[in-house]
Amino acid sequence: MNLQLLEYSLKSFRRALFKNLFVFVILTLMTWLLASMFFITNSMKYELSLTLDALPDIVVQKKRAGIHSTIDENISLEILEIPGVKSAKGRVWGYYYFQRAELYFTIMGVDEFESQSRDIFVDVLENHALDASSMIIGEGVAKTFKKSYYKEYFNFLKEDGSTKKMFIKGRFKSKTRLESNDVIVMDKTALREIFGFDANEATDIAVNVTNKIEVPMVALKITQNYPNYTVIAKDDMRVSYENIFNYKSGLFLGLFVVSIFTFLIIVYDRLTGMSSAQKREIGILKALGWRVEDIIKVKLYESLFVSIFAYMLGLFLALAFVYIFNAPFIREIFLGYTQMKNAFELAFVFDFKTLSLLFFLSVPIYVLATIVPSWRVATLDADEVMR
Amino acid sequence: MIEIKNLSKSFQEGTDVLKNLNLHFKEGELIVIKGKSGSGKSTLLSLIAALLKPTKGEVIVDSKHISKLPDHFSSAYRRDNIGIIFQKYNLIADLSVKENIILPLVPLNISKKELDVRAQEVMSAFHIEHKADELVKNLSGGEQQRAAIARANIANPKIILADEPTANLDEKLSLAFIEMLKEMKQESKTIIVATHDPLFFELDFVDRFVDFDS
Repeated sequence: MNLQLLEYSLKSFRRALFKNLFVFVILTLMTWLLASMFFITNSMKYELSLTLDALPDIVVQKKRAGIHSTIDENISLEILEIPGVKSAKGRVWGYYYFQRAELYFTIMGVDEFESQSRDIFVDVLENHALDASSMIIGEGVAKTFKKSYYKEYFNFLKEDGSTKKMFIKGRFKSKTRLESNDVIVMDKTALREIFGFDANEATDIAVNVTNKIEVPMVALKITQNYPNYTVIAKDDMRVSYENIFNYKSGLFLGLFVVSIFTFLIIVYDRLTGMSSAQKREIGILKALGWRVEDIIKVKLYESLFVSIFAYMLGLFLALAFVYIFNAPFIREIFLGYTQMKNAFELAFVFDFKTLSLLFFLSVPIYVLATIVPSWRVATLDADEVMR
Repeated sequence: MIEIKNLSKSFQEGTDVLKNLNLHFKEGELIVIKGKSGSGKSTLLSLIAALLKPTKGEVIVDSKHISKLPDHFSSAYRRDNIGIIFQKYNLIADLSVKENIILPLVPLNISKKELDVRAQEVMSAFHIEHKADELVKNLSGGEQQRAAIARANIANPKIILADEPTANLDEKLSLAFIEMLKEMKQESKTIIVATHDPLFFELDFVDRFVDFDS
């Protein structure tokens, strides 16, 4: 490498300091914004896929007056009789409004026979034996409780207006933080007591099927047997989840388009906006014996210097913004469907493809936009350029 | 050393600036080309420097056909053989004197130490070393010209081309330039000066005058 050419590039950068710094800041901001969007999207996709994988094949719900109502848990025994059904169990869960923090927790009831529920709750049961007055809480719940000085127990307001003291036995942190963050896990009996459910009352019934191809058939059979119940197959739930996600991705797409547009303006400016002083300088250098490739090298070093540093800084800022500061402002776009907006943490997902895409969207395009006009001028007669 | 054969140059506007020009310059000669503005003096220098391509004819330097060289080789030819002193100096205003002077050597990838030594030599020879770190835009006309002369000499070229070198100077500075011209001639360089300044027409160390008006 010709160090003198490199030094000349750095001098060129210094000489057009204001303009170069402006481009540097814009490129850094663009990389930061796009990288943040990609990082959040990747984390959400990861969370979403884990959540979807953990869902039962079919969920059976009861509706009364068009509103989700509780279901008789004994129905599960009848569903078990349908050929192809591997398991059917009533799930007991609900939302509890925590007035002081003005948000909802999701309370899941488990029992010692719990097996068909989500993996994370099986883990909870294995690691913490729950009794009628203890609970395990998600990270977000723990943080919210701590703010209100509930460190050892919490008094739940029951349906009849009295309270039930539940001791915090531990915290869990599953792979799917999006889902588990606002969750409290307790014994089914305790949950029924808080929500005022009868002994056989469940929120819904989770059904798993042995052969996944048969899920639509089993769902149809349940619908035929229980026409007044709502039967939701996993694929329907997947579509529903993805619709929410895709709708919110659209907002990010808007930001993406704005960023790309800004970048294209810079590229356009570079391609068309070479000043007469810059052209004259190229003419002088050629007259002094510089070859076209020497001039291109100088412009290459200069543009690489600007774009690579901007890319790296933008990436670093995005990593810090998303994974250390938890993407303030932007994350709210995505977290509308969890109740624990303020405590949610995005899972770190390293995706080389995303980083490559960002790199190729910024660095080579900017480098080319800088080199091409210089090359065009450098290939003209020096005398013509200097005039 | 330099042979001009049937050289013609016309620009897009259709005017023939040079037509069937034939000249021969020997090594070590100091030639003054005189003529009024628009007579083609500067165009001839640009053609000798391979900054322009002729419409017709040839420029031959040391038996090499310069006018037919591809761009890549014409740059190398200039770098190795030619030092140019432009009428408006063509210095880069926001670089220092020293940074301007070393420009012809930058693509050669020589060490910084050697660059410094050679810059010091030419700056000292042309009395501009005290302004080495000064930005060119802050220099007077005479100082800018000395920087331009030092830059033209740093690669130790065989040929020096000076285009209207005293056009922007007062008489005192013009005389100083003539002194420097004499020093360059003593180094056996072939020097071609294009000018319409009468100061040059009485110089006794000029080997030949070429009159473009006639």
